[in-house]
Amino acid sequence: MQYDDKSRVEKAKKRAVVKQTEARNRVELFRHLPQYEHGTQLPDLETKFFELDPMHPAVYKVGLQYLSGDIRGGNARCIAMFQAFKEAIKDYSTPPEKTLIRDLTARISSYVSFLIECRPLSISMGNAIKFLKNRIAKLPLALSESEAKSTLMLDIDRFINEKIILSEKVIVKHAVTKIRDGDVLLTYGASSVVEMILLHAHELGKHFHVVVVDSRPKLEGQLLLRRLVRKGLSCTYTHVNAVSCIMQDVTRVFLGASSVLSNGTVYSRVGTACVAMVAHAFHVPVLVCCEAYKFHERVQLDSICFNELGNPDAISKVQGRKEINYLDGLVNQENLQLLNLIYDATPSDYVSMIITDYGMIPPTSVPVIVREYRRDHLWS
Amino acid sequence: MDFQVVVLAGGNSKNLTPLVSKELPKPLLPVANCPVLYYVLHQLEQSNLKDLIVVVEGEDAALLVGAWISGTFIDRLHVEIAAVPEDIGTAGALRAISHHLTAKDILVVSGDLVSDVPPGALAATHRRHDAAVTTMLCSIPVSGPSESGSSGGKDKAKKLGRYNIIGLDPSKQFLLHIATGAEIEKDARISKRILHAVGQMEMRSDLMDAHMYAFKRSVLQEVLDVKDTFQSLKEDVLPYLVRSQLKSEALLNRTPQGEENGNEKVSSQNNQAFISRILANASTPSFHGIYSKNPDGSSSTRKTHKCCVYIASSSSYCVRLNSIQAFMDINRDVTGDADHLLSPNNIIGPSPKLGTKTTVGPNCRLGEGSEMGDKCQVKRSIIGRHCRIGSHVKVVNSVVMNHVTIGDGCIIQGSVICSNVQLQERVELKDCQVGAGFVVTAGSEYKAESLAKKEK
Repeated sequence: MQYDDKSRVEKAKKRAVVKQTEARNRVELFRHLPQYEHGTQLPDLETKFFELDPMHPAVYKVGLQYLSGDIRGGNARCIAMFQAFKEAIKDYSTPPEKTLIRDLTARISSYVSFLIECRPLSISMGNAIKFLKNRIAKLPLALSESEAKSTLMLDIDRFINEKIILSEKVIVKHAVTKIRDGDVLLTYGASSVVEMILLHAHELGKHFHVVVVDSRPKLEGQLLLRRLVRKGLSCTYTHVNAVSCIMQDVTRVFLGASSVLSNGTVYSRVGTACVAMVAHAFHVPVLVCCEAYKFHERVQLDSICFNELGNPDAISKVQGRKEINYLDGLVNQENLQLLNLIYDATPSDYVSMIITDYGMIPPTSVPVIVREYRRDHLWS
Repeated sequence: MDFQVVVLAGGNSKNLTPLVSKELPKPLLPVANCPVLYYVLHQLEQSNLKDLIVVVEGEDAALLVGAWISGTFIDRLHVEIAAVPEDIGTAGALRAISHHLTAKDILVVSGDLVSDVPPGALAATHRRHDAAVTTMLCSIPVSGPSESGSSGGKDKAKKLGRYNIIGLDPSKQFLLHIATGAEIEKDARISKRILHAVGQMEMRSDLMDAHMYAFKRSVLQEVLDVKDTFQSLKEDVLPYLVRSQLKSEALLNRTPQGEENGNEKVSSQNNQAFISRILANASTPSFHGIYSKNPDGSSSTRKTHKCCVYIASSSSYCVRLNSIQAFMDINRDVTGDADHLLSPNNIIGPSPKLGTKTTVGPNCRLGEGSEMGDKCQVKRSIIGRHCRIGSHVKVVNSVVMNHVTIGDGCIIQGSVICSNVQLQERVELKDCQVGAGFVVTAGSEYKAESLAKKEK
């Protein structure tokens, strides 16, 4: 939904579960994206805890976790959402005079709109929800309610196993063949797939050095760094402003992605495009590791038309350092707008290869996979 | 939402002796002409929690409370009254009703808490962190003008009784240390293990435990079964859970195995481990998570549980009725600053008869059927139903309950006068409490005393 269309925003507000107050100072270019005052959302949602009858408690808990930032990362969000849906389906019972298919679909749609209000969906979650609705719609009418529910839960389990867990194992198997002894590998942010690749290569006994590049305000690389160092890998940690200095020593770059679009554009955490561009300038191969369920048939040419806006206070304040408060009085002024983008789009020219569970493909082959394998498989 | 609510309504209370009696148990003590239990139940009703268990000490008190509840809340709430023997403490009360508790989480509210903090916020915090216990903390309420009076000599002790020393982690979400009342005089003992795990602890003395808790049912029942000498939730159970949050091996060691489904295949267990690893890696680990991992990253056998807090914002009102001073304060606040707590059908009774030249101040409440004589002055006070007040009477800063007769020329300041009391002419009372059914003889003057009919 485009948020600069006033009538639509009003209609959506009336149906909304989470009460959001819109931020006052917004960048003109990004007015079509939702931006809310971050401080008020969580307390308001908490006070309504017992009043949301149609909401299942597991879905509510996941929504709260998204809102407070307790869960991050495409795979984790998708898995958490599916686990909540499994609980909701388990406790679901068809009301009288209604069919299971239509009512359950309506119920899932209401859960999804609640989750969207807490935090906009990532593309992988969108694909997963499409899959679930497709499975519900394809349920044979003759099934009893308990059979239908157990079929759905098995389908969800199968999706998680095949598309997320198994595909990660396949990607790891492919990717470790690209790591040789003596390599210096660079990674940006904290991608679950890349972490598994590095740990698996280390277990196989390869000798390599890892450079973890991180950026404010989320500083996600620190969590990855902690886990790698604990396992005994030799690591270097730096911030994204130094990436052009460190790129001279790097032999390969491994990046994760939130999604890969049909024109080969990689949609990932903000800063990935910078890293890929610098790597390209230094002739370092960039390998993007992404599960196939995250592919999307959309085409995006820039980072503006579809993105997510985070909390602007996160960039004006440093956590734990109260003395860095230079922007404190200026936040509400007319001529200062704080912009905290979460995602960005890396053009396909900078990507050398995409490693998926269907194999190692060039970026131009993404629409082929979307076209061919979507139809055979479960979501189309 | 899988929450069960238990309201601990107490029964008789030694702190409030002349005010509570056999006919008027503590939960029915009126605040602004409305029993204090009403405020708790009203707030729960507004949060859509309709199934409650109310625990009262003493059979007679239970009958009275039950009668009042079914009268006031017919059809609006579904309440089960449980009577427990007297003097077994809050933990004992929960132990007695523990077989009624079936939901996954239990919300325990004290029946003498007057506040406008929604219980949903506490429950949401509890669920979000998957905590074993969550406490609500509020800022210490400003005590009223304690003009000498009965709280004089015991002022320090009373103040300490209400104070808590609370230790929080830097993100103000987890409770690391709690010390109440009597322990504050002695040295504070802080667990080194917890301090080592968390790194930084903030000690605060301006927060008070509001006695609204959310417990995970399995944890609560296990603590109550294992430690059967625990009497009080606030002083025994909660500090025990806080102290043992990083070494709960003896406790809670059956939870992970018991809750998995019966699927024993190795591959599915591997998948479960995979999934839980992805989810764990996705979020910033709390110090519990970091503590329970060995230095090389594998999960050790150290089990931890989380004790979370919810800090009510400083603009919300939250006071517990556990002393006479608190009773006066709550009455004053509810008619003054915090009047959003009053229900709309309780503002001024329909027919108080006021004599000529009688002034009633702005923050007063007069019950229905009360009559006042000429030239009276009522300031910042609450007068119950069916009172007969003579002329030239001055009532300042006081609480007068129902069916009281006050003779002419009385001066009542800062006092509490219970039901069915008769004050004859020209009585002067300052900072007194007069128990139910007492008769104060004419012309007497009392200062800072507590008058009660002798129990035969």
